[in-house]
Parts: sequence; C-alpha cells; structure tokens
Amino acid sequence: MNALPRPSTIFLAAITTLVAVLLYSPLFVPIVSSFFTISHGDVDWSSPTLSTYRALAENHDILTALRTTLIVGLCTVVLSVVSGTLLALYYHGRRSGRSILQFIIFLPFLMPPIISGLALLIFFREIGLERSLLTVVIGHTVFVLAIVYRTVLMRLQSMSRTLVEASYDLGATGWQTFWRIILPNLSSAMVGAAILAFALSFDETMITILVTGTQSTLPVRLWAMMRLGFSPDINALVALILMFTVLLCVLAARFLIPRQMATERS
Amino acid sequence: MSAVVTTQLAERRSSLLVTVLAFAAPVIFVLVPLAIFLVYSFFSVDQGTIVYAPTLGNYVRFFTDPIFLPVFWNTIVLCVSVAVICILLAYPAAYFLTTLRGRWRYALLMLLLVPLLMSYVIKIYAIRSILGLNGFLNKALVAIGILQQPSTLFVFNMNAILLTLSLLLIPFAILPIFLSLERIPQTLLRASDDLGASGLQTFLRITLPLSLPGVASAASFVFVLAIGDFLTPQMVGGTSGFTFGRILYSQFGTAYNWPFGAALSVALAIVVICAILIGERFGRSRGTSV
Repeated sequence: MNALPRPSTIFLAAITTLVAVLLYSPLFVPIVSSFFTISHGDVDWSSPTLSTYRALAENHDILTALRTTLIVGLCTVVLSVVSGTLLALYYHGRRSGRSILQFIIFLPFLMPPIISGLALLIFFREIGLERSLLTVVIGHTVFVLAIVYRTVLMRLQSMSRTLVEASYDLGATGWQTFWRIILPNLSSAMVGAAILAFALSFDETMITILVTGTQSTLPVRLWAMMRLGFSPDINALVALILMFTVLLCVLAARFLIPRQMATERS
Repeated sequence: MSAVVTTQLAERRSSLLVTVLAFAAPVIFVLVPLAIFLVYSFFSVDQGTIVYAPTLGNYVRFFTDPIFLPVFWNTIVLCVSVAVICILLAYPAAYFLTTLRGRWRYALLMLLLVPLLMSYVIKIYAIRSILGLNGFLNKALVAIGILQQPSTLFVFNMNAILLTLSLLLIPFAILPIFLSLERIPQTLLRASDDLGASGLQTFLRITLPLSLPGVASAASFVFVLAIGDFLTPQMVGGTSGFTFGRILYSQFGTAYNWPFGAALSVALAIVVICAILIGERFGRSRGTSV
C-alpha cells in the first residue's frame, strides 16, 4: 500500500481531512461559544471570557446529572466486562450452544435501541421493577455486552494455542495458566472493551430515555433542556468533556499501541 | 471406584450449573423482554388501558392505514441514502489510515472515532445550528456564491435528517471498513505488485473485493442505527421530516398505544433483520470467492 502514486494519496488525504472537519465541526461550535459570545451566527472574537465555566461550576442540575452518568458508566463497565469476559472464556473452544448464545447477546446491539429500550420498558413493568438507575444500568449492560464479549473472544481466538500448551508442559496448573498466561494476554483487549463500554454508556440516550426513572443521566438531562435551548454553560461542559476524552485517548494510545505493535512483530 | 464416579457426577453437575448460568442472564434480560414485547403487539388498547386479548388489529391497521406504509418506505429510503453517504466518505478515509505506519495509523483512527464519545444530543443541537438559516453552512454557500441568500433547505425537513444522520454515523462506517482493510495480508498486495499489476488494478481486484465484508457490515450498521433513531428526526425534522422512528416513539408518549407501538417495532425489527442478513450474505460470498 506504500507504493501508492502521489495523486491518489493526496486525494485520500483530502477526503480524510474533509471527514475530520465534518466530524469535528459540531464540536467546534460549542467550544468556540464557550469562550466567546455568538449572536446571529457571528462570533464576537474581541472579548474572550471564562464566565461560562464559572456558571457551569454552579449549575448543580448538570453536575448531578454528570455524576449520575459516571456512576452508571462505571457500573456498566464492571458488569459488562466481568460477564462478557466470563462468557467469552466459557464459550471459547466450545461449540455446543455457542451460536444460540451469541445470537442472543448480539440482539440488543443489532436491534435499534428503540426496540431494546421498549422491550426492557415493558419487561420491567411486567416484573414490577420500578424505573431507576438500576434499570438504566441493566439496559446499558445488555446493550454493550456484545462489544465486550466479541472483543475478548476475538483476542482469545487470535491467541496462539502453543502459549497455553507450553504453560501446561512446564507444569502449570489450570489456574496458574489462567492468571499468568491467558489473563495478561487478554488485558489489553479487556481495557479496550472497557473504554468502549464506558463510552457507549456515557453517550447512550435512546435506551436511557425509555428506561430511566426520576434521576436522569447527562444525555437525558440535555435532551430535556434542548427544547428550551441551552444556557451558555453547557458549551463549557462540552469543551471540558472533549478535552477529557482527547486526553484519555492519547493516554490509551500511549499505553496500548506500543504493546500491540510489539506483539504483532513477534 | 465409586468415589471417582461421584466426583465425576459432581463435576458434570457443576458444569451443567455453569452452563445454565451462562445461558440464564442473557435469556432473562434479552430474550424474555423481546418475547413479551412481541406478545404485546397482539394486544390492544381500550380507553387508556391495555386489553390482554389476542388480536391482529394492530397489524391490520399498519397495512391498511394510508399513513404508516408510505412513512415506513420513505424512512427506509432515507436510511439507505445515509448508509451510502457514510460509506462514500468513510471508505477513502479508512483506506488512507491503512497507508499510514504504526502509531500514526491508530492515532488518526482514534481522532476520527473521538467524536463518537461526544454527547449525541449536543452534536444534534450543534449540527442544527450549523444547518440553520443563520448557520455556518448557509453563510459558506452564500460566500462561495452557490446561494443568493440563506435558505431553509437544510433544516426542519428530510434533508436535515439525512445530513445530520450522515454526519453523526460516519465513524460507525470507518471502523469496520478500516478493520477489514487492515486484515488484508500485505503479501497479497506485494504479490499483485510483483505480477505487474498497477496500483489501481491491485486496488480493484485485491483490496476492494477483500474489504467488501467490511463495507457490507458498515452499511448494515449505519442503516440499522439510522432507522432506529428517533431523537435526530424529532430535533431537526420539524413537521415535514416525519420518520418511522418518530411515529413509533409517539405510541409510547403522546399517542399512548403500547400494543400498536409494539406492532410497529416488529415491522421495524423485520427490516433491520433483513438489512443485517443481506449485508452479511453479500459481504461474505464476495469475500470468500476471491
């Protein structure tokens, strides 16, 4: 692929730049407005201000919603990574029942969230479970489980069997092999799956709107606020979240990719 | 001897228990809700309460009422268009990524995926302000000279939904295409090069066919995400941009007819399943025939 002639490389780079611009333009608007005032589509560049950030620090409504979102996200990550990894380990190398189970796990991820959300809504009502953060966590876990399961299973399948066999040959027990060979090899896949699960949970809006009770997560809160228009401090929140996610991605890239490349080379 | 048999029995029993556990949670939280949902589509509503007597009325209404089928069809066309736009933009970008080396490749991939982490609601709101009458798109088009004056062509109608959904869903197309491109063995490309193929020939006869499974899954992914979305149409569609998702959602809100909503969901689910199956079949047969 390195033998590409120059014009096609330029064309590809141009499209990629266009895509990046398209993807980032919706983020650019709120970030600019977090520092400058915008009226009638014109940015007033003359007077940068941090007042939106000060206002955000006093917006308890939003901060509570943010905390709720983080709690839901962490619970979802723990639940989905543990159960997804267990399921992947259980069904790795086992044929019977695997395709049926995979089909079931993948259903909520493949189905539109409105269907999964409504099915859960009716289910919770039928079993008499009050709508709360618990139902939101269940909804999110059901939604992201497929991603975790698949990521871990793919890593398991790409893992060389000789590693496990060598471990047994050297006299290790099943548990030793699991802790010292299988789990370390899975760890980067599990971290990746956890990041993905958290990201999906953090942003999940459609299922959450349907199954949430009185406590709303950030997206649901924003959705409710959007009808009236956003106050300027929301822009500050968006800017902060973006900075945080970029930082997280840079860190993840720093920690995960060199190791990945090292395993590819060997 | 009998001790061995007992431990074997105990082992078999515990492995049976593990199997049941491995199945139980997914069945309870996925299959049971969907089954109940399906059953609901055969119920009806009488003056605000659900009547638990089986009827086909909801399905008859869906097929005979002049409102639902056209909206259903228009929504499918809309979402196919979204998938096409996303792939046309995502494929070159994903291909460009695979030409990069090492850390840059993944750094840029992440850069293109980061917008996914941003609040969906905020993005819809920002895109709406970009597409609006005073928005950036109108300003740019007027500045270039394509438009004489700002137009409302891009907001509160079907165009707005098309553009907004495409913008939101591009990353979902990039990832599967990138993964399928990355999986193509470099030796194949080198062999093609050694045998005297040009860059374009190698692309058309090796890379493109081998990446079609990725394209197919990207297409079905984007289509499914687009057709299930009820927030975007609600926010940018105005009164003329009416999609199936909106009608479906309204059955659980203002219209308050859960059983009919369940029947509409079944129709939606059938389209989604077809989309996934078509995507998978197409991608796989082309991918293996090479």
